[in-house]
Amino acid sequence: MTRLRFSAPAWRWIALAVFFVLGWLVIGALPAAPVSVIVLALFYGAAGSSFNLLYGALGIFSLAQPVFVAVGGYTSSYLYVRYGISPWIGLLAGMACAAILAVPIGFVAMRRPGTVVTALVTLIISEAATPILSAITPLGGSIGLYIPVKSGTDWGALQFATGVPFARLFLALNVLIVAGLMGFGRSRAGLWTAAIKDSADAASATGVPVLRMRLSIFIASAMIAAVPGVLFAQYNLLVNADLFLGSAVLFQLLVVALVGGSARPWGALVGALVMTELSQYLSNAAGDRPGIGPLTFAAAFLVMALAMPRGISGTWARFVSARQARAGGGDDREPPDTRDHHEGNVAPLARGPSRDSAETETPTP
Amino acid sequence: MLFEQLLIVGIITGSVYSLVGVGFTLVLGVGRVANFAHGSFVAVGLYLALFASETLGLNAYEAFVPAIILFALIGIAVAELFEWRGRKVGEIGELLIGLALLLLIGGLLEVLFSDTPRTINGLVLGHVDIAGLTISGTQLVAVAFTLVTAVSLYLFLRGSRWGRALRAVAENGEAAGLYGVRVPVARRAAVTISIVVAGAAGIVISPFTVLTPDVGSTYLISAFAVVIVGGIGNALGAVLAGIGIGIVTSLSSGYLASYWTSLAPLIVILIVLLVRPGLSEAV
Repeated sequence: MTRLRFSAPAWRWIALAVFFVLGWLVIGALPAAPVSVIVLALFYGAAGSSFNLLYGALGIFSLAQPVFVAVGGYTSSYLYVRYGISPWIGLLAGMACAAILAVPIGFVAMRRPGTVVTALVTLIISEAATPILSAITPLGGSIGLYIPVKSGTDWGALQFATGVPFARLFLALNVLIVAGLMGFGRSRAGLWTAAIKDSADAASATGVPVLRMRLSIFIASAMIAAVPGVLFAQYNLLVNADLFLGSAVLFQLLVVALVGGSARPWGALVGALVMTELSQYLSNAAGDRPGIGPLTFAAAFLVMALAMPRGISGTWARFVSARQARAGGGDDREPPDTRDHHEGNVAPLARGPSRDSAETETPTP
Repeated sequence: MLFEQLLIVGIITGSVYSLVGVGFTLVLGVGRVANFAHGSFVAVGLYLALFASETLGLNAYEAFVPAIILFALIGIAVAELFEWRGRKVGEIGELLIGLALLLLIGGLLEVLFSDTPRTINGLVLGHVDIAGLTISGTQLVAVAFTLVTAVSLYLFLRGSRWGRALRAVAENGEAAGLYGVRVPVARRAAVTISIVVAGAAGIVISPFTVLTPDVGSTYLISAFAVVIVGGIGNALGAVLAGIGIGIVTSLSSGYLASYWTSLAPLIVILIVLLVRPGLSEAV
């Protein structure tokens, strides 16, 4: 039985709050160069979380997430450059645009279930986005849009003299997303998605609106992905296709999300911090020999993929449940190895949202 | 005159797409694996031809047979890797392996051959003039190779015992297993064949292709496109789809503004997606 492990007892909320406060203080104490690495890591963390919401909750392997990131960035930048509308309002507009665009994309990609079909369709959409953007003249074509620079700190225009406020905004965004995912796992919708992931047919038979749930989660993840796009555009003071789209960004996003794993809400965040820091460290250590940085990064990813195929959070989840099985005795009757396989058994919808511990598995009735 | 020229160029580039797509569609159909590294094996074939011509003094056709043997070995190893991961962690394990190989091969090629675009000189097989267009012999060989490969793959899948077993697995792996088909062997065979075909494609197109380390992801995307238009696991569909996409790309580059060149085939694919009720899954 597959089960979304997004639920959280109280101490996880406390841990999240502690992480937020510590992160906030650490960012303030760092020099400029590490802050820029942290901004990049947290950007990928937020975008990767939107991928993990889809993959973790419903097994939808969407490669179109960079498109929604780009939609967010382009919408707010266009509104600001053209009409002088504050990026804060642009943020809402970007989320709305991403949601509107997600409806047809999600419908085409998920009309026929299956990870492979969804991956095929979304990769093509992702690739189509770059030439489409270059063809739209008001969005600057292949050059993109440059955001007019304000001097100093301007909260209304979302521009700051240093990278520190951006890093803190990204940190807040990541913490909000993780908190949202933790809450989602305990909600009725979270339980529905768990049922759909176990067996769409069985869920449908028990009255879960399968296609509507799939589309809703797809739209929600598109809206989440748009937010880091807006912040990253403001941080770089420009938007273009290279910044958000292209296979390099897509693969980086996938690596971050998959190394982190979707078994826990914090998966992508941890994956992003680990992989971005690692890639920075490796390319520094490799010196100026071209290609060594990407090569060692790829090798590190391969090692991760072999050692922890379910990602850091998946390995952690198995560790915790194994420990609880030893301590509690017999609660975790299911062998951990079958956890990610779709056995097609009926998801126990009767399971109430009041369950406190995420790891204890209900034996299948 | 222009139309005929564009048509011919389209058929040539399209046959390359077909060749790359045929193997990809086979793995998707039989193994249910989206091998992200598929295009990278084309890149390996290209750089192997470069290595052969610059270091060993062999041209692409002389290096062909040893390269095929090498790709068969690589294919068996990669298939084993996929099978091992697939058994242990399922679909996500296979996707991870493909993605890791894609990044690893790209990085390796960049370190070994630097990222400056390269071409291989030396191999000339004469040329043919059709409709005022000069087509080199090597391009004709590539088109012929595509047709031969596609037809023999089709005959293999239709006629032979092995081919029937592969099709049975593609249709319903569980049922095929109950009837005595060794499903893991069939999946390994599909992965190996696809890698050999991709590598061979790289060797064959090397005389007229510009080499860059990230060429792998370009071919991956064209393979994705071919599968969507041609149907999952459909070898004949892949060939027709590849040539169709090549022709659309070529015609749009001749008649439309430059940014349409990359957009036109994608629009065709999106239309196909909207019109077709689902991707057909017949091998």
